[in-house]
Amino acid sequence: MIRRLSHILSDFDKLSQIYAVLVIIVIIGGILTIPSLEYQADRLYPKTIHPESPLDPYDRGGTPFEKTEVLAEYPENSPYLGYVTAYLTPFSLALATLTHHVGTTIVAHPGGIIDEILYNTRGLDTVVETSILFVAFGVASFLFLRRDEE
Amino acid sequence: MIRVFDQGIEGAGLFMIEFGDIVPYFSVYTATLFTFAIIFTLLATFSIPEKQMDIIFGGDAYYAKEIKPQDLRFQRFVAIACGTATLGAVVTGDIFNFTLFAAMIGITNIGIVASSRSHHVLNAAYQYGIVAMIACVPLFGGAAMILATTGTLSIWSLAGIGAAPILAKILLLLGVMGEGMAPFYIGKAEITRAQGAPFILMVHVSSLLLFLRVVEIILVI
Repeated sequence: MIRRLSHILSDFDKLSQIYAVLVIIVIIGGILTIPSLEYQADRLYPKTIHPESPLDPYDRGGTPFEKTEVLAEYPENSPYLGYVTAYLTPFSLALATLTHHVGTTIVAHPGGIIDEILYNTRGLDTVVETSILFVAFGVASFLFLRRDEE
Repeated sequence: MIRVFDQGIEGAGLFMIEFGDIVPYFSVYTATLFTFAIIFTLLATFSIPEKQMDIIFGGDAYYAKEIKPQDLRFQRFVAIACGTATLGAVVTGDIFNFTLFAAMIGITNIGIVASSRSHHVLNAAYQYGIVAMIACVPLFGGAAMILATTGTLSIWSLAGIGAAPILAKILLLLGVMGEGMAPFYIGKAEITRAQGAPFILMVHVSSLLLFLRVVEIILVI
């Protein structure tokens, strides 16, 4: 038995399968405990959906350069909280008046991650997310170009 | 809010950086990890890879393996990126931020391993990449579950109240296991002696520090 197990473990091609089985076991066990969990409705970062707005689901309300009510864990750390929530560039403002799908476009393209910066309070997340993208593109382009030169 | 420094594992609180909702903190524990990460990032920055000798069996000849400068540059870049991600992961005071840094460590680890030109090493890198991608599900799932059940992601607010569900903790640990599985592949595929060995060191250090940090987070929240 132990010999068979160690034989499976010795092949690193099988590690991903073993890991996936582990994840499945935990998730199946976890689904059973979900009814005992309680959903916290008054959480931070609330999001209201206005289906008729052209900026939906991106619309956070408020007027540009005016203070908007935004919830934050530590408001004392973000003195300019709520001031950049509603800002659009003139171009995107023009697009928003023309079409109904600007919000979807913003969310769907990679720069939609920058969306997070509008929370203002979670700026470091935005930096890390774009760094992940940058490093991933770096690795992919390195591997791709190396294939070319050989 | 200072409750986090009262936890047994943390030791005395040194200082914190107030950065919006993400408040990285330096206790004795995290500062030690941070120092380790800095030392090894500097080692990776200033080291040059060893040049391996291949002895031709049965003859009196040997040849030195060449490492191309562009490979060297790339490995150094990814190793430094990995070190930076580790620096962030060990001090951040926010669960979602921690998972992001963990995902970044996973991707840079793939990069370090993938810059080798040996076939079986690339095979191992591919397999590890699959595991790192699977690991994103439990990793971010754990963070999402903590946000849904407690309403906050800040370790400062979660410290010591025990509100985070045990399932979320297990998922978080499982995710870090997947992202930090690279040394296992390195052992299996014998990459330790592959070209660019000093940069391979970064894989071990980052995954070790990631595990130490996630244990701290699980004990604190």
